[in-house]
Amino acid sequence: MTRLSPNLVPMLVVALLVLALYWPIMYLANIPAAQRALDTGAALPCKTAFECATQLRSPVLPSPQQLWNGFANLMFPLNSPNAIPINAAVTALETVVGLLLAAVVGFFFAIGMVASRAFERALLPWIVASQTVPIIAIAPMLVVLLGQYGVQGWLPKAIIAAYIAFFPITIGVAKGLKSPDPLALDLMKTYNANNWQTYLKLRFPASVPYLFTAFKVAMTAALIGAIVAEISTISFQGIGKMLAENSRASDVVAMWVIMLSSAALGILLVALVGWLERLLTPWRQAGARTATPKQARWPAREGVRGG
Amino acid sequence: MKANTASEPSAVGSNPGIVVSVQGVSMVFPNGTVALKNANLEVAPGEFISLIGPSGCGKTTLLRLLADLIQPSAGTICIGGKTPEEARKSRAYGYVFQAPTLMEWRTVLANVMLPLEVMNFPPAERRARAERMLALVGLEKFARHYPWQLSGGMQQRVSIARALAFDPQLLFMDEPFGALDEITRENLNLELLRLWRETGKTVIFVTHSIPEAVFLSTRIVVMTPRPGKIETVIPVDLPQPRTFETRETTRFFELATEVREALRKGHGYEVME
Repeated sequence: MTRLSPNLVPMLVVALLVLALYWPIMYLANIPAAQRALDTGAALPCKTAFECATQLRSPVLPSPQQLWNGFANLMFPLNSPNAIPINAAVTALETVVGLLLAAVVGFFFAIGMVASRAFERALLPWIVASQTVPIIAIAPMLVVLLGQYGVQGWLPKAIIAAYIAFFPITIGVAKGLKSPDPLALDLMKTYNANNWQTYLKLRFPASVPYLFTAFKVAMTAALIGAIVAEISTISFQGIGKMLAENSRASDVVAMWVIMLSSAALGILLVALVGWLERLLTPWRQAGARTATPKQARWPAREGVRGG
Repeated sequence: MKANTASEPSAVGSNPGIVVSVQGVSMVFPNGTVALKNANLEVAPGEFISLIGPSGCGKTTLLRLLADLIQPSAGTICIGGKTPEEARKSRAYGYVFQAPTLMEWRTVLANVMLPLEVMNFPPAERRARAERMLALVGLEKFARHYPWQLSGGMQQRVSIARALAFDPQLLFMDEPFGALDEITRENLNLELLRLWRETGKTVIFVTHSIPEAVFLSTRIVVMTPRPGKIETVIPVDLPQPRTFETRETTRFFELATEVREALRKGHGYEVME
């Protein structure tokens, strides 16, 4: 937990800045609507347009107070099927399962692309093409197709999440597998290491830092994929289902609350990847090297302990 | 790739007193560069051979040919009576690269164990050998450190320990100290000589530095560029064991001058010292 705290203060500063900017924009957006409401004689517990700007039933932008109340309404009771916690958990499950599926597919493609130029040439354009198809169009088609084979509920959403998450994983892992220094590959050759040993002892470990970077990108992609899939197909649970419902009910405040919750869920899931990364790559800790996963050919400085 | 290598399979390498034999070896890269032209060299067991010359003289190419990392365009190479490929597959040599090429995710000890894992040594023996090798290069206290915690000189010592871990009789070293400062380099030179005396290995050592070559070698192979070729071979008769004072003797300077003049004769001017 202590590792989170260095991030926490700058994060809160940004939140305060956004709030400070949000306030005047909210007034600007709502005052004309409030004026119109007053002109038409709507029953409002306020007298001036400025006062009413924070109390509209369906505001253009909800006031912080309205958002706060909205959160209170939508968060509790915790186990209610219409509250955010359960629905967020379902979406999180779809996202994580989607990411794991994407990892399997991504690894398969990445190994193929590193092992064979022909495989890369034949498949890469199609992999790119698969990502340009609008997910909102392909999601219902996939659900119909999967439904044909009895795959229903949260699994089709996970598959759709995997569909857009496998791309960054494929590219990231392929780059990671290609990252070892040519000299390191020569070294394995002088040991007469076979292909499998070269992957196991050199290419896979070298790709781990790239893998986690790819996972962070893929996690946000998978979350969007899961939510879009929930919106564009028949869903009984999930953030996307809540968005679709409240959109039909024109509940602007609820829409904002759900949107912010899904953003928070995204932060949480990416933080989870970051935590796993720290756990599984102990050699990169203590500020050893900041961003570059590739080993420097020679350390820039003469080490910390002298030679 | 290896067009003429198999033409005379048993004619050379039969001499038991020769551990490395290079006969008429040439290397032309696909882009037409003649990296090495008609090289001939014989190395006896226990020798310390330095290959010296400016960039582009083919010294690294020659070492890579010996190690079967590339194959010659012409000529025959024998390593202990075997072809380079057979020698590589029987793990006849250890190779130390210009950069330490340590695996950053492995501790120092685990890095030294890497070749032993690849070669399927029993786990207990891997550990014992790696610890012995680290002691040999004076780094036993750093076994649990990660490479980034070590200085460049220490990293290169780990890579030497790693090359010696499976006890090959031959050690190929490609400018292992080229990126180090002069003071570290002179210390490591002394240490390398001590290792060589203690282990009785045959060493083939590539360098840019005349003093380093003179200090370390039993023979110096002077190479010159365009096209890369062996200009001459200079025997070094400085007495063993060599010490820091060896560098200040008259004979040392005479030999250094001899090497320098051989390089100049072959137009290999741009030698660093």
